[in-house]
Amino acid sequence: MPVALRDPALHELILGFLGAGALLAGLVLGGFSALLSFWAGWRNSAVFVQIGRRAFYAATAMTVLAAIVLETALLSHDFSLAYVAEHTDLSTPIALVAAAFYGGQEGSLLYWTLILGLLGSASLIASTALGGRVAAYAAGILASILAFFLFVLAVVASPFDLLSVTPPDGLGLNPILRDGGMLIHPPVVLAGFAAFAIPFAFASAALLAGRSDAEWIRHTRRFALVAWSLQSTGLLLGMWWAYHVLGWGGYWGWDPVENVALMPWLATTAYLHSSQVQEKRGRLRAWNLGLVMLAFLLVVFGTFIVRSGVVPSVHTFAISAIGPWFLGFLFACMVFSAVLLATRARAGASVARRPADPVSREGAFVLQNVLLVGVVAVVFWGTVLPLVSGMLGLERVVGAPYYERAAGPLLAALLALLAVGPLLPWRRAGLPTLRALRWPAGTAAVVLVVLAVAGVRSPAVLLGIPLAAAAAATVFTEYGRALLSKPRSVLVRRRRYGAYLAHLGMLVVAVGIAASQGGQQEKDVTLAPGEQVTVAGYTLTYTGSGQRQFGDHDELIAAMRFGDRTLEPSRAVYAGLGGQALTHVAITTTPLADVYVVLAGMSEDGRASFRVFVNPLVTWIWAGGAVIILGVVLGNVGERAMDAELARRRIPITLPA
Amino acid sequence: MAPAADAAKYASDPGVVILALKWGAPVAVVAACVGYLIYSASGGTAEYYLTVSELRHHAQTGDVRVAGVVQDDVHRTDGGLHVTFTEKDASAAIPVEYTGTLPDIFRPGITVVVEGRLGADGVFHARTLLAKCPSRFATQPYTS
Repeated sequence: MPVALRDPALHELILGFLGAGALLAGLVLGGFSALLSFWAGWRNSAVFVQIGRRAFYAATAMTVLAAIVLETALLSHDFSLAYVAEHTDLSTPIALVAAAFYGGQEGSLLYWTLILGLLGSASLIASTALGGRVAAYAAGILASILAFFLFVLAVVASPFDLLSVTPPDGLGLNPILRDGGMLIHPPVVLAGFAAFAIPFAFASAALLAGRSDAEWIRHTRRFALVAWSLQSTGLLLGMWWAYHVLGWGGYWGWDPVENVALMPWLATTAYLHSSQVQEKRGRLRAWNLGLVMLAFLLVVFGTFIVRSGVVPSVHTFAISAIGPWFLGFLFACMVFSAVLLATRARAGASVARRPADPVSREGAFVLQNVLLVGVVAVVFWGTVLPLVSGMLGLERVVGAPYYERAAGPLLAALLALLAVGPLLPWRRAGLPTLRALRWPAGTAAVVLVVLAVAGVRSPAVLLGIPLAAAAAATVFTEYGRALLSKPRSVLVRRRRYGAYLAHLGMLVVAVGIAASQGGQQEKDVTLAPGEQVTVAGYTLTYTGSGQRQFGDHDELIAAMRFGDRTLEPSRAVYAGLGGQALTHVAITTTPLADVYVVLAGMSEDGRASFRVFVNPLVTWIWAGGAVIILGVVLGNVGERAMDAELARRRIPITLPA
Repeated sequence: MAPAADAAKYASDPGVVILALKWGAPVAVVAACVGYLIYSASGGTAEYYLTVSELRHHAQTGDVRVAGVVQDDVHRTDGGLHVTFTEKDASAAIPVEYTGTLPDIFRPGITVVVEGRLGADGVFHARTLLAKCPSRFATQPYTS
């Protein structure tokens, strides 16, 4: 019936049904893959390993199909789908229509599932060297997680629900999401969340199969590193976006949504460091497995609390029915991890060698781990306090002061450790180490004196910047020593020197955070045209206002002169959304600080109200973030030398089951 | 080598005690510090998160956050930087006064969370004002 097929209504129905069908098929294939793979692992059957793995690839292919269908529906403005009608309209720019794929609850879950399938498939293809059982169990766990997400998508929160009446136009994307940041931040941070499932799958598989040898460490570490890098990038992009769009002058608000993205990142940071103790010294196996599992559990926990609306947050998703399902999934994952760790991890705990001194590289890693897990605990408690106190009586909440007071000292201790840790030798540290500490200690002292003389009185700055300088001195000492004696070693042992580069990036970020937290200044003013305001020595002149019209909104613009630059903070009004207003911040960067201007309002007589912030060194945060990623990439691309080293060190090949 | 035998030998070794003292004690001290930081910081900074009627019934001395719906009597002065309005929930209402930048979606009818304290004049003096929209990532869904 070619005529009927050209009927747009039928065409749209086909898209909706095709998408829902793909999700169901994916669910069946995922469940099938999970069953077969666990069976294959248990019976050590090579044939079933193959079939289970292929079923996983097939489930991934179905997810890809569903994603293509949703994207097609969005781009063709198919408003018969509730998701399309609720998240886009005809006036939304086309790039943002495409981005609406992950802009809402259901679509973002589909995107997450898509990334889980793709990264999971990649990890399974790369894991053939691990041997039958570990690979089989890993495939089984990944397939179970994939099947859970596909179940939620197919049954509870489907992006392919049809509306009974197709509206002529959609509701449109929330104006605050109509921004270039929408194109980069959510996909990266959601991919990061999805990626934490892979190290979890391999850690659990190693425990199930009773293995944690060098090949396994390499594999898990590589995927933990992928997840960590994605999450680092996602967090930084989120901070950058919040800073440039939200107009409150900051980049981190300790909102539950931000906290739950930070916690798995912290746990994985701890793992990436402590896994070296296992690689080099054969210790901390159970602890490392626990950290990998913790990171994934924090992801599931975070998804639950953010998407079920159980804690107050400024960016809650639309309330939906997925909360209880994620709570059940979280519970299942916790029981699974706890039972595995309790029954299987002790098998690897026997080490006959004499324990190292606490003052040693091992000790530094352990301290760093305890501090990082401490920061996780601080953030976790701050996030769940409303929930816990609400159950016991009146709801209580904490804000930035809590996090600053509780996490601040821990972060300062971590900075100090960044200065000391890399200089400590394995096993035990003697007097030569103390001599090595003279450079970082001297640098910290000099920087502290300079800051104090310059009149800085903020404790965050006086503590953070000297410690960061000390840690930078440590990095430069290490680089200097290598370049003076064996310049090639920087290339050969690139993982080590890449990590130092990442440390350096982290220090630059730390300086940016300390300076902007400790040195921010703000002022609210109402000015008539021609009047001036001075904040922290920066003078701005209000020159006048104007109006501009765009496709989906009108803008009221106030111009301010700053030196030879013109700042144009504005307020946009979206007529299509009941006149919802949106602030456009104007930011200009000088070498020492950002001048950040928000237009608060305008009165009939031409006077305009502004909130002006001066934020010292915020650009250091973005620059440092780029250096971190550069260090991770340079240190791990084409990194082969490590295999030989691991083989030489002979990490025990098997654990008793 | 048999790790089980190793473990047995290791368990009888007096080194275990030294290990526990050398490693366990510092770790326990750091963990205790973390616990103390969390305890003292949350005790010192946690604020009650109340509805307007809860605020009416529980006299609070410190800062609190109060959630309620903005009524129609919004009055802006000082170029929009100073605002007064009435915040109300199902059974109680309170006048609120706030100076600063308002959220973009601020208007009568939305739910806001104000942070500050109730003055002796019966007016709630807000230090911060957040709009609590039902969904930041989605517009209102179609109701069928």
